[in-house]
Amino acid sequence: MDELIYTLKQQIIEALNLEDMTPEDIDENASLFGEGLGLDSIDALELIVLMEKNYGIKLKDPNQGKEIFKSVAVMADYIQKNRTK
Amino acid sequence: MEPILITGMGVVSAIGLGKAQTLEALLANRSGVGPLKYLKTEHKEFPVGEVKLTNAEMCERLGIAQEAITTRTALMGMMALGEALEEAQLTSEMLPKVGFISGTTVGGMDMSEQFYLDFIHSEAHKEYIAAHDCGNCTEMTANHFGKFAFTTTLSTACSSAANAIILGANMIRCGEADIVVVGGSECITKFHLNGFNSLMILDTEPCRPFDATRHGLNLGEGAAYLVLESAESAKRRGVTAQALLSGYGNACDAFHQTASSPEGEGAYRAMSEALTLAGLQPSDIDYINAHGTGTPNNDASESHAMMRLFGENVPPVSSTKPFTGHTTSASGSIEAVFCILALQNGFLPVNLNWSQAMEDGIVPVSQPTKKALKHVLCNAFGFGGNDSSVLLSSVERSGGASQTFGRLRVKPAMTFFDDVFPKGVIAGKDPQSPEHNGVFILSAKQISLQQPLTEAWMQEPVAYDVPFARSIDPSFKEYVSPIEARRMGKIMKRALATSKEAMKEAGLDTVDAIITGTGYGCVENTEFFLDALSNDGEQMLKPTYFMQSTHNTISSLVAIQTKNHGYNVTYAHKGISFDSALQDAWWQLQLGKIDTALVGGHDEMTETFYHILKKGGVMGQDDEICGENAVSIVLSKAVEPVETPLHNESALRQAQGPQLLTAALRHCEERSNPETKPLCQLTGFQLLHQPTMTTLQENIASMLQNAGKTLADVDYILTGISGNHGNDEAYLKEARLLFGDKPLLKYKHLFGESFTSSGLGLYVAAQCLKAGRVPAALFVDPKAACDRQPKCILLYNRSDGKNVSLTLLEA
Repeated sequence: MDELIYTLKQQIIEALNLEDMTPEDIDENASLFGEGLGLDSIDALELIVLMEKNYGIKLKDPNQGKEIFKSVAVMADYIQKNRTK
Repeated sequence: MEPILITGMGVVSAIGLGKAQTLEALLANRSGVGPLKYLKTEHKEFPVGEVKLTNAEMCERLGIAQEAITTRTALMGMMALGEALEEAQLTSEMLPKVGFISGTTVGGMDMSEQFYLDFIHSEAHKEYIAAHDCGNCTEMTANHFGKFAFTTTLSTACSSAANAIILGANMIRCGEADIVVVGGSECITKFHLNGFNSLMILDTEPCRPFDATRHGLNLGEGAAYLVLESAESAKRRGVTAQALLSGYGNACDAFHQTASSPEGEGAYRAMSEALTLAGLQPSDIDYINAHGTGTPNNDASESHAMMRLFGENVPPVSSTKPFTGHTTSASGSIEAVFCILALQNGFLPVNLNWSQAMEDGIVPVSQPTKKALKHVLCNAFGFGGNDSSVLLSSVERSGGASQTFGRLRVKPAMTFFDDVFPKGVIAGKDPQSPEHNGVFILSAKQISLQQPLTEAWMQEPVAYDVPFARSIDPSFKEYVSPIEARRMGKIMKRALATSKEAMKEAGLDTVDAIITGTGYGCVENTEFFLDALSNDGEQMLKPTYFMQSTHNTISSLVAIQTKNHGYNVTYAHKGISFDSALQDAWWQLQLGKIDTALVGGHDEMTETFYHILKKGGVMGQDDEICGENAVSIVLSKAVEPVETPLHNESALRQAQGPQLLTAALRHCEERSNPETKPLCQLTGFQLLHQPTMTTLQENIASMLQNAGKTLADVDYILTGISGNHGNDEAYLKEARLLFGDKPLLKYKHLFGESFTSSGLGLYVAAQCLKAGRVPAALFVDPKAACDRQPKCILLYNRSDGKNVSLTLLEA
């Protein structure tokens, strides 16, 4: 799980083009949206692409993301349970 | 304002070719949205509103050879333009007196996306490279009918055509033209179908605007043009008005690149401004053709805006997008035609597919309704919050509208009208008395091939002998936080840095208008998206690349970052993209619509696009250096104290009741800022399409005359020669014929060529006037270098051999 979390952080940094950030800068339990990292609806769409590309998980409705993208830890947990690749 | 006549209109969309078919479909509630048929894409799951003709069939109808270089956007544009010109009885002989302003965002993308890999890897289809430009589509459309006096292209995504209507109206109100054809055209492309899909806002079912179950939009395509004409001109020509344009508003939501604010700030302001300009009350509006895309976000935001403005008494509203799909850049003019058909025939178009009221939303017209209409609003909103609204009225409308601002005739019209109007008469002024309608250039900042954000180049210019060079970038940390920077390409950061620095130097916290020119916008992101589309197919595309690919991303970013809700538009028309932006600001400053404007010229280049453009003969020939630039210039009416805030439409619409005083004080404070020392004055501007030598000479003479100058007063001529041998030779020959032995200057050898490098020309001339000297490196002929102090510089930009801009600057 730790490995997945670390990889996921790297993928998030790349997908969202978070220049100057390292996986260590992201707290896996902190909120990705709002108060935490401060991401928005477009980032959520980018995370949907990330999940499909890397883990074969297809989300049909952007609203589903609200729960799944709460934090990196929640996201990793969802990926582990639903990944197809 | 005094209403402007609409003396002709033409339309094509999914519901029909021409007004008759369109009206019949609207009255019969027959949608044109259905399964995808013409576009080659794997996304068959999305219903679309296609025009029911192949490109070949359109060519046949238009009498164009099948092998001609055309784009679907241009072809649809020609069909609509033909109908509009015919109704207004405008023949090709009359077009040299008529302006043409079109809105599009995809331009030639339908061809570029098919041939992109050929553009990169082979010589095949390279003749389509030049057709990629939005401005090229506009010129192709225009040139099919003849030689218009002036053409330009607005590109503010889904409000492009509405903004073309607004520019045309300002042009007529300025007395710059009597007839302007305005509107927009846009075909569906794989590029934006996939782009909207990546944003997850396409519905797989027919769209249901304002319905509780709405789940996104359906894309559509089409074109529509309106002939705007002054009352005097229509009377003289004996043509009748189909309807009246009695008001319009443009505001920026300044909230988010792809989402509208919950309270619909931009929409509210745009509609309010249209009402104010028309001198009408909300209760005078009989119908609103909503933007109503069918996305959860738009319809909620627009509902709020309408309820804010109209309170309990929201007039009948419908979105006609279930008929046509969302025709994006063309929607503003297509739906304006629907509104006019409704005014003429007394009915309310139905909001098809609606059945359940949404929470906190308006309830749209769901049943066919006969109703006499006097005044209607037509909304068009674009990405980045570029929101516009136009107010159309029936010809039979009775009084009621107080004419807040009459048509201002501030200066003689362009000389191409002189055979109709003797010089001076059109302006209602004695041609002998010089006019001083100058505006001040308060500041000018650049990031380009020279030292960024400084004037160090005047001492020690960086020299280049490479065909393509990237900008020298400053550190952007001061201007954007790392988290904000995540979705900003280089061009966006550059535009933001130069904009913020220019406003700082001008001593302004805000400006009345942000007006931007860009040839290709965010090329890097466009390239990423095209790469992915061409190499990886139509799945898992990144929304970020798509949303940055629209030209208006830059201008709206500046608005979002500086929280500016004022007028905001983007021009994308080849080498006159910046000049078009400057012209818009110039007209609005003349009209008194605005007091200050931030005018930008921003273009970036990638290695791939440089090679493509070189192959297509667009750029990079001979010794031409392709560069990149961000240039931001603050213009202000300023020096003289503002007489009254009512003098200015912008102040009037922003300030109501007690706010009027605050606005007045703000204006006075801004004007009296002792640190604001203007760089120079801008005292004349002209943009001409394919002018003859005589037209050029006449325009230079009248421009100088208006400024109270003669050619003898001009110290230097700044040219845009770029190192393209063939062009430069003709360019310099023409310059010598026009200006005799005046010292000729150049700047593109230092700053590079781009679609908006003429903005750098303005920057260079303004800095020379401020410094009181011209660096030796700028002289075309080094032997002619002199140390004469510049007091008056004329910029003479000739782009792609067709469009010429003339800018007069004085110390």
